[in-house]
Amino acid sequence: MKIALSQFAPALGNVKKNLETHLEHMETAAKAGADLIVFPELSLTGYHLRDLAPDVALDPERNPVFRKLRNESRRIAVIFGFVEETPRARGQVYNAAACLAGGKLLHIHRKVFLPTGGMFEEARFFAAGRSFSAFSAPFGRTGLLICRDFLSAGSGYSLFADGAEIMIAVSAAPGRGSSGKGAFATSRMWELMGEAQAFFSTAFVVYCNRTGVEDGMTFAGGSFIYGPGGNLEARAAYLDDDFLLHEISLDAVASARRTRSFKREDRPDAVARSLERILRTDEH
Amino acid sequence: MNIDPEFVEKVLTRFIKDEWGRAGFRKAVLGLSGGLDSAVCAGLASRALGPRNVLGLILPMGRAFPEEVADARDVAATFGIRTKTIDISPQIEAYFSAHPTTNRVLKGNKMARERMSILYDHSAREKALVLGTSNKTELLIGYGTLHGDMASAFNPIGDLYKTQVRTLARRLGVPDRCLSKRPTAGLWPGQTDEDEIGLTYETIDRILYELVDLRKSRTEVAASGLNPADIDRVVSMMKKSEFKRKLPPIAKISFRTIGHDFLYAHDRED
Repeated sequence: MKIALSQFAPALGNVKKNLETHLEHMETAAKAGADLIVFPELSLTGYHLRDLAPDVALDPERNPVFRKLRNESRRIAVIFGFVEETPRARGQVYNAAACLAGGKLLHIHRKVFLPTGGMFEEARFFAAGRSFSAFSAPFGRTGLLICRDFLSAGSGYSLFADGAEIMIAVSAAPGRGSSGKGAFATSRMWELMGEAQAFFSTAFVVYCNRTGVEDGMTFAGGSFIYGPGGNLEARAAYLDDDFLLHEISLDAVASARRTRSFKREDRPDAVARSLERILRTDEH
Repeated sequence: MNIDPEFVEKVLTRFIKDEWGRAGFRKAVLGLSGGLDSAVCAGLASRALGPRNVLGLILPMGRAFPEEVADARDVAATFGIRTKTIDISPQIEAYFSAHPTTNRVLKGNKMARERMSILYDHSAREKALVLGTSNKTELLIGYGTLHGDMASAFNPIGDLYKTQVRTLARRLGVPDRCLSKRPTAGLWPGQTDEDEIGLTYETIDRILYELVDLRKSRTEVAASGLNPADIDRVVSMMKKSEFKRKLPPIAKISFRTIGHDFLYAHDRED
């Protein structure tokens, strides 16, 4: 299958404009023969929303923007970021990512780990998601993560245990520090996790980060795809907008799992029992 | 929208007393325009710090607006605060004779910044802090000059709408003329805020209160009987003036950046 990564700078608070960009990039990717296009975290809204978050929230069941994207997903599957608010929990908004394919909504992931500290303040504005789960897509068993979700052994492990062959992390990661090699120092943090997660999960890891500047924070770009051997298959530009097209074959997952038997030897029951005990004793 | 003026007076005088004390100052300096906001601030400051610790600067442009100057003096006398009058016309005229313009907004901004420059000069001369006099209405719609009248060390009335400032003014005993006359920025003869903005403060405040405080949508605000065109205008003024309510964003490079993740309270004591 062919994956497209759209590394761009969403307009802050302008859903209409971002929708147009999404449709345009979907068109380009479909014409290039891609089966799936991935956009960054909060790609429909921009990142530094603060009090704008409830104003740009969408209900996936009813919103016309969603309907438009769902229709377009008949041509090409799409993963994008948005602010979710449903009639069941009005006034509660989530930092969410959706996967649409074949005209259907396949999955919504709500960001679980909301960074709140230092320069981050997501928990002041968003409610937290409660689980990580893989889902079956036409292109294979997939798991979604949003930015900080990816920087955890537990989230990646949950998707691995749930059978994910592709882990897709959408991100709006601002850069900090200098790597000394034309990138922000923090780009290395994401690549380190990408490499390790791909290697030990024997799965593809796809990371789509954004670019641009919002209120002084510069988003680092540097989206990437690691293969199930922990090998870097493709990487987008640091800082600049980029459009990555890359062919992957899920056969590589099967062959990696024959070579390295992490999946076969995995004991999720032991992990679950340990976590239950830890939660019970309340010493965590 | 209704305030309890007695309670608000208590909170605001406590605010001034505490903030001035913690910053190590006993004195305040503020611009006295003869209008309602600066009158209320003069009243609050004189109660919080004592009248002798408050200096009201009256900064007319030549002989224009003699009634405003008289009203400013009346405010000072009412609250017993000191005053000093400085005519700003020599420096303003010197500047505009070298760089002429017919644009009234440019002239108004220059005058507002000149006044603030004099206020800060006097804050250093007097070992005083500049007390801000911008109310919530003008802050939200951006009806003020950045680095001019919007500048200050602390602002006691920035969370009170213009109509709420009026309620507080009555409690503080502000002179009647300040209460009854139409608010003006004093930028040119006959100018009033409401004519220039094109909406009355009552209307603006009702719209702002519903949008900002009650977090209603535009449609909901319109449903409560307010004119949709007026609502749109207020929303647009609010959006366009966001930059006036922020410190300039700093481009983040390092792991510790002022304003991003180098965060300390204004009032840290250690």
